[in-house]
Amino acid sequence: MGLSRRRFLATAGAGVTLGSAGCVGSDGSTPGAGSAPGSGTETSAASTVTDRNDGPEPPTADSRLHLDYEIGTLEENIVSGGVPKDGIPAIDDPTFADTPPDGLAPDDPVFGLVRDGEAKAYPQYILVHHEIVNDTIAGDSVAVTYCPLTGTAQGFERGPVEFGVSGRLVNSNLTMYDRGTDSWWPQMLATAITGPLAGESLREFRVTWTTWDRWSSTYPETRTLTEDTGFQRRYGVDPYGQYNEKRGYYSSTRTLFEPLHDDSRTHPKAVVIGTRTETGALAFDKETLLRQRVLTGRIDDTLYVAVADTDLATGYVYANPESLSVTASDDGYTVHGTTYDADSLPLDRTLSFDAMWFAWAGFYPESAYVD
Amino acid sequence: MSTDNPTDWAGMAASIQRLFRNTVVAVSGALSRRDGQVGLAVSGLAYFLLYLTGLRHLGLGPVGYEVSVVSNPLTRTFRQVGPFQWEPIALVVAGPVELLVAPLNMFLGAVLALLVGLNLAVSVVAWRGPAACRLGPGAGAVSGLPGLLSGFACCGPTILLVIGVQASAGLLSLFQWLLPLTVVALFGTLLWVGSRVETA
Repeated sequence: MGLSRRRFLATAGAGVTLGSAGCVGSDGSTPGAGSAPGSGTETSAASTVTDRNDGPEPPTADSRLHLDYEIGTLEENIVSGGVPKDGIPAIDDPTFADTPPDGLAPDDPVFGLVRDGEAKAYPQYILVHHEIVNDTIAGDSVAVTYCPLTGTAQGFERGPVEFGVSGRLVNSNLTMYDRGTDSWWPQMLATAITGPLAGESLREFRVTWTTWDRWSSTYPETRTLTEDTGFQRRYGVDPYGQYNEKRGYYSSTRTLFEPLHDDSRTHPKAVVIGTRTETGALAFDKETLLRQRVLTGRIDDTLYVAVADTDLATGYVYANPESLSVTASDDGYTVHGTTYDADSLPLDRTLSFDAMWFAWAGFYPESAYVD
Repeated sequence: MSTDNPTDWAGMAASIQRLFRNTVVAVSGALSRRDGQVGLAVSGLAYFLLYLTGLRHLGLGPVGYEVSVVSNPLTRTFRQVGPFQWEPIALVVAGPVELLVAPLNMFLGAVLALLVGLNLAVSVVAWRGPAACRLGPGAGAVSGLPGLLSGFACCGPTILLVIGVQASAGLLSLFQWLLPLTVVALFGTLLWVGSRVETA
């Protein structure tokens, strides 16, 4: 793995130091009210910003996403992750390059985002140290978020506010806070469980978990997040394990924190592609979906169909209330005799994302699991 | 035992004073000898490097040579990222070795390393000396162990995965106390070891 570009800044202070050291997917995001104020939300500064709860609000969805628990129950299950608020610093001033960082191997995971023809890749090996990137894409203010413990990469419209890492977890899941109202948002639920916005759901958009090789082949014009994050980290070191090849926490049957609900239908770290609506949740086994290409499941009485995107090794989920026939073909998927790409079936697509099974089942114990 | 009697208090104070005096004498004596000096240097340096490794501030990476510093090092120096852990302000790459420079953690590591080193130096002298109670030189090292574990409290205590124990509020609280516990343990063992060395 090569060494990435880093800036050399000779400062007297540093010299002394070194010397001594020997579908709720939103297409129309609310335009951001302003750019990020720059890197380095220091703890002291953050406390003055985040202790208030009457600031600007992130845009919220028209209706709340389904929850399998009462909000109060979720709040009771907030635990410390062992770090203080902003102890894991969000990237507020991300920089992007046309060429990938030296540290990014072809099979390394990246989280991909496309909007209005603009494509961006966020390498997992960088986000594992920051978990949130407060970014702008196609003129819209967005937060691209990643929780290493639940294996979830999700996108949220953020409007005039930024998100930070609260240091708390629910069901092992990153609990974000917004720097406007200081409401707390477990990432997977996309719904605030404390603060002025408790009970509100965020506006979400799709973030694709894939590999650098697949993403850059599909979107050759993509720009990629660089290691110039405003922070010093050993970006080659993942504290939890390794994805390429899977090792450590990412493949172990063990979890660091007790899940809200135990479900042994599959390996705790098996990847599912999950979707949740206002009425329920549904999960498809990712490996099975990529192999079989079409899977179906139900939320209540409504049929849903999941199809595989073999280029990006991901899947999309559609509501299929009329139970239309969807069949895989060499060129895509056939519906009513017409062939479509995996991401553009003539059905209502619901937002879906990859997650570790234990985390999905913990939050959504009533979810069907299709494999 | 009742200690209401002023004579008892005076006796206790005298004992503590004697204990500290003995320890100072033992440390001075140990550091005046070659084996004591070597014990301090080797064990102190080893502990310092292990502490930084435990924090994941020191380790191997891609080969290169560079120094990069954050744009606001003074502010960042005091930014806490975890229990007794502060924000790194620089990254030094020398060949395959990567070092994150967090000044406050380096200072803390140096203090712990000094205490471990002094423990080892005195232990070595006591062990090689004619004292009736032959302490193993590992007493100080064992006392320093919690400090090495404290680095794993960051980003979710991943060391628990290795042990096979799930995190709990109690365990996470314990992690926060590992470092102060280490300091107390190291001082305690130093006084204890010092008291066993014949200084008369």
